[in-house]
Amino acid sequence: MKNVLKALKILFLACTGLYLVLFLVYWFDLDGKALFYGVEPFLKNHYDKMKRKDPLEVVYKTDTPNYEYNK
Amino acid sequence: MSEKTSVLNKAKKLASDFWNGKPHEERRLGDLYLDKTGLYKHREWRGFKDTMYYFNMIWLYNYGHMVTDIMKYGGGLKGLPLFLKGVWRYRWLGQTYLPVMHWYDRGLEGMRGEGLRASAWHYRAMTSETIRQFMRMLAADQKTGGSKELYDRTPAHDETVWGGIFYPWRDRMDDVPLQMIPYFVTCHVNNHVVLNYIDAAQSIGLPGDPCPMCQAECGIFLQDDVPEYYPFVITSNEACDGSVGTSVIQDWMMDRPLFAMPQPMQFDDPLVQEHCAREIEECWKFIEEQSGMPMNMDELKKHLEEQNELQRFEWEKWDVAANTDYYPINGVAQALYRIYQSQDGNREIWHETDKKVRKILEKCVEKKINSFPKTRHRVIAWSCAPLYYSHWCTWAYNCWGLNCIINMDSLMFDMTIRTDTYENMLMDMALYHEWAPMRRMAVGGMHHIFELWENMEKFHCDMVMMYDQLQCKGMQGVHGLFEDEFRARDIHAIWMPHALPDKRTVSRSEIRGIINDYMTTIMHEKPLDPTLLEFDDSEGW
Repeated sequence: MKNVLKALKILFLACTGLYLVLFLVYWFDLDGKALFYGVEPFLKNHYDKMKRKDPLEVVYKTDTPNYEYNK
Repeated sequence: MSEKTSVLNKAKKLASDFWNGKPHEERRLGDLYLDKTGLYKHREWRGFKDTMYYFNMIWLYNYGHMVTDIMKYGGGLKGLPLFLKGVWRYRWLGQTYLPVMHWYDRGLEGMRGEGLRASAWHYRAMTSETIRQFMRMLAADQKTGGSKELYDRTPAHDETVWGGIFYPWRDRMDDVPLQMIPYFVTCHVNNHVVLNYIDAAQSIGLPGDPCPMCQAECGIFLQDDVPEYYPFVITSNEACDGSVGTSVIQDWMMDRPLFAMPQPMQFDDPLVQEHCAREIEECWKFIEEQSGMPMNMDELKKHLEEQNELQRFEWEKWDVAANTDYYPINGVAQALYRIYQSQDGNREIWHETDKKVRKILEKCVEKKINSFPKTRHRVIAWSCAPLYYSHWCTWAYNCWGLNCIINMDSLMFDMTIRTDTYENMLMDMALYHEWAPMRRMAVGGMHHIFELWENMEKFHCDMVMMYDQLQCKGMQGVHGLFEDEFRARDIHAIWMPHALPDKRTVSRSEIRGIINDYMTTIMHEKPLDPTLLEFDDSEGW
């Protein structure tokens, strides 16, 4: 019983701590700052370097059927 | 006044600001921004109750649901790696998904009480439906190892082909529009992303002067940034004839069986109606042929009737917005939710949201709660909006008390669909299809674009925010006629120039400057919050 109470107390304190940390992240817009200064430039760099298919090498096939039904 | 009284008054004021938030005129929202970025030094204190609501029920709730929705729509835990693969592969997904909470912040700035709650539920619904759509894309995407079985059951369509066309197969297939998320949603959430796609279109030698929406939608394909999730596709002219060129390039890149179902301009003509109805039938035959699945008419009827329920609630919302001061939804939430929902078609999330919003709406009417008490002018926004600054109305209310009551795109699909006989149903579906974004009013002929006057009266608006899409040749053609009419009718109208998704042509800051100039020089009014007059958010999302 004592151990259960102790575990509950630790859980309560951990949850409260986490909640407070999250509130600080929210309040100081730390999520926005991390994404703006860290994550987005990293991803952007990755997307900019990505090898992409050359669209001008794609053949435009015009021999597809003409889907008309109510003739 | 003694020093003791003065200290006591200060303490009272501090306590009141802590509990209720500062009065509108004392908020100084512009001081919260970090220069250029649009980020906040710290987020706004809205009073204890509303700050806690925002933190718990908007910020935490939505971050949480952004993960659980991925699992919900991605088939459980396996949805998470699927999503991460998608983020790594597609620019429009990675750069847009992550800053989504800032999209909420921008749209809901300064809001309090029931207005905050009702508007946020609209945002939540759009976020959830967006996740549903891209998770279905990713689950069926052959580029990132998606399921072939799902690929066969995921037809694609242009974003302005109404999702209702696919209702007869919703029990077996799930349609996903091609551009709704990669183009439309990204522009609102992170306005940098689309610039890559506009530039991609011009990089192969296409001219830069057509509508940037057409360019961007081409560019997504040219950059090979569209998931391969669909075995066949239904296109339209995206109801703007510039987009016909887009369809040609998309057809080139897609290399799939394609059925074109353009929305005609003369949609009042009964013969055109008849033609459109037959074209829907042809489209259904095409889908049956491609999918090997017959139509289910009961499914079609069921979804149409459910969609009618959504429309009936929308009418109730309009009634409250038009005739009372108790409408709790802000301009941007109204506009985006409505265009998204009416174009996407019947989905469970819209019903869940409407149920929550109805409760708030009824409470506001019963208790006479005015969510926009600083309204100086009731504004109607007309023509096509700047996608990179759809939240201008939140700023305009905070800064000037301009309350955007309704906008053109909300009013497009002003109809329910009869389900009593097959012919009635088909004719109504044809009309709904024809009343697509842009076609219904903006490039739908003189009579329809001038529906502004009757809606202004209906919604008791005293001012028009007239969007001026500089690269829309259709709307540029009627610019002078509007000028004449505004003058003749003695209507206060602010022209808002923009280039739809492209912020480089007219920046957000320039748009604010134009409104500021009008409000000071023509209206001779003073701002409610002077810190919002000028600030630089040029690098912001």
